[in-house]
Amino acid sequence: MRNIKAVAIKEVIHILRDRRTLMMVIFMPIMQVMIYGFGINTDVKHLRTYVYDQDRTYLSRRLVAAFEHSDYFSIKAQSNDIHSVRYAIDKGKAQAGLVIPPNFSVDVLKHKTTQVQLLIDGTDSTPANVAMNSSQAIVSNFMQQEKLIAVGVMPIDFRPRLWYNPDLKSTFFMLPGLIALVLHLIVPMVTANAIVREKEHGNIEQLLVTPIKPYELIIGKILPYIVVGMIIATSIILAIHFMFQVPIRGSLIDLFFLTLVYLIVCLGIGLWASTIAQNQQQASQIVMFFAMPSILLSGFIFPRETMPVWVHHLGYLLPMTYFLKIVRGIILKGMTAFDLMSQIWPLLLMAAGVIIFSINRFSKRMD
Amino acid sequence: MENKIAISANRLTRRFGKFTAVDHVSFEIPYGSIFGFLGANGSGKSTTIKMLCGILAPSDGTGTVAGFDVKTQPESIKQAIGYISQKFSLYGDLTIIENLMFFGRIYGLDGAPLQQRIDEVLVMTGLDKYLNKQAEFLSGGWKQKLAIANGILHKPKILFLDEPTAGIDPLSRKMIWEILTGLASQGTALFITTHYMEEAQRCDQLAFICDGKILKVGTPLSYKEIAPTLEEAFALLESKGQADAKH
Repeated sequence: MRNIKAVAIKEVIHILRDRRTLMMVIFMPIMQVMIYGFGINTDVKHLRTYVYDQDRTYLSRRLVAAFEHSDYFSIKAQSNDIHSVRYAIDKGKAQAGLVIPPNFSVDVLKHKTTQVQLLIDGTDSTPANVAMNSSQAIVSNFMQQEKLIAVGVMPIDFRPRLWYNPDLKSTFFMLPGLIALVLHLIVPMVTANAIVREKEHGNIEQLLVTPIKPYELIIGKILPYIVVGMIIATSIILAIHFMFQVPIRGSLIDLFFLTLVYLIVCLGIGLWASTIAQNQQQASQIVMFFAMPSILLSGFIFPRETMPVWVHHLGYLLPMTYFLKIVRGIILKGMTAFDLMSQIWPLLLMAAGVIIFSINRFSKRMD
Repeated sequence: MENKIAISANRLTRRFGKFTAVDHVSFEIPYGSIFGFLGANGSGKSTTIKMLCGILAPSDGTGTVAGFDVKTQPESIKQAIGYISQKFSLYGDLTIIENLMFFGRIYGLDGAPLQQRIDEVLVMTGLDKYLNKQAEFLSGGWKQKLAIANGILHKPKILFLDEPTAGIDPLSRKMIWEILTGLASQGTALFITTHYMEEAQRCDQLAFICDGKILKVGTPLSYKEIAPTLEEAFALLESKGQADAKH
């Protein structure tokens, strides 16, 4: 115990003196929250839209207004010919073009079918999809409101409702995931570097001839980084809650306890990397090599449901896959640790496994 | 001290695969004496030190350090010895005080006794003016004095020094040797490797190792019987050793 404490005190001094790492630990979480909160916004709203209204009647203007009011489309210009609409889409000035034919209101009022065209830039599939689906809803709503179709008894009253994130804000989905991502990026790196540094600077040579045991050295070195990790997690939770109004519906105690478990897995990864790497640069490379698949396959950005089966299964090997479900579950859905059992036990197993394996490996290398 | 022998090696051997790094070396070192261990780079000096410090198990033979067996009691040996290496291996970003506090605690010291002992070794090595300086900003000579202060912090009766003065200015070397002879006169056994002949002269006993075998153990004076200078004596021993090996 005394030796562990001595190592931990020394490690805290290392951390406080190492400006570069300290800066990374303090600013990287905040930066990531800002980038994902303000910058990366997959909500598709206010698509730049050009309108070519050949009808120019009260009703056609009402249809244009319906598009505008939906918030999905933002009317940027009125065009006088179809070519300028096409040109705007070609140039990327417009993402959509609404074309209303002449005789629109006349035909509509005569209950004659008329054609309204929406041109959509399909290069980026996400906004294109949103434009397509929302435009259909806008038009059918418009028809009902303007009583253009007979209001009879609908055979099916279909009302989908969105739970947990009714406004479908992508920040709500992305930001809690940052706890998982940032810990996975920073913690294994700083832990691995802290241990490899002792090797690089020859400190291990001196420690070998002292009565300290390998496990005491490892635990003493890891403890301060658990605190560092918890500080990072807390600062992210505070930032997403107070800066981006992400509601925290579940229990904070559950959240912190499970973050701790995940943190131990991350520390274990760093520890394991340190037993392979000869210097800090190698350690960083090994850690990054394992961080990349986690970012892509864990469901942090891309939904795992759309992945080919074998890639989907690969995701089960990544601790981040489980922890993402845990943080999103607790923060957005208010789930309890009990609800999340099926995600928790693989994490616990990984934590125990990677720590035991790495300490063993480390001890063998020290002998 | 009922046992006057600090370090004894009896046919101590270490093999790495087919290569024999240390080949049946034997010697005895009493407390209060300086034992100079000389030989070319790669002759087996460091491997011998590692076995005696309890961090490398011997393949054959026996050895005791401070009365503990190198094979079965390496942990007890570690508590009983101090080790100073040629390469600075303390923490550069820690201050002198912080380094000494850390290693002191590892050796089981703490609180007021540790503080008191730190003050003692700082005065002894002349480091007391640099207390709060980070170790990496010290010059080579002062770094080595810090390593010595650190090595004697827990009052070990046996000290291993692996080329402690390599690449150090003459004045610092002189000061370091004053510290070392002072320790020996107080009863500490010193096991030291060096490439400097004038330092070898100051040892009580000299062992000359070549290709893992000890060719001679004796006082510096006894080497004079072979040749007028130590260098010449070593050269003669080495050529004789190689000739023997061929037969």
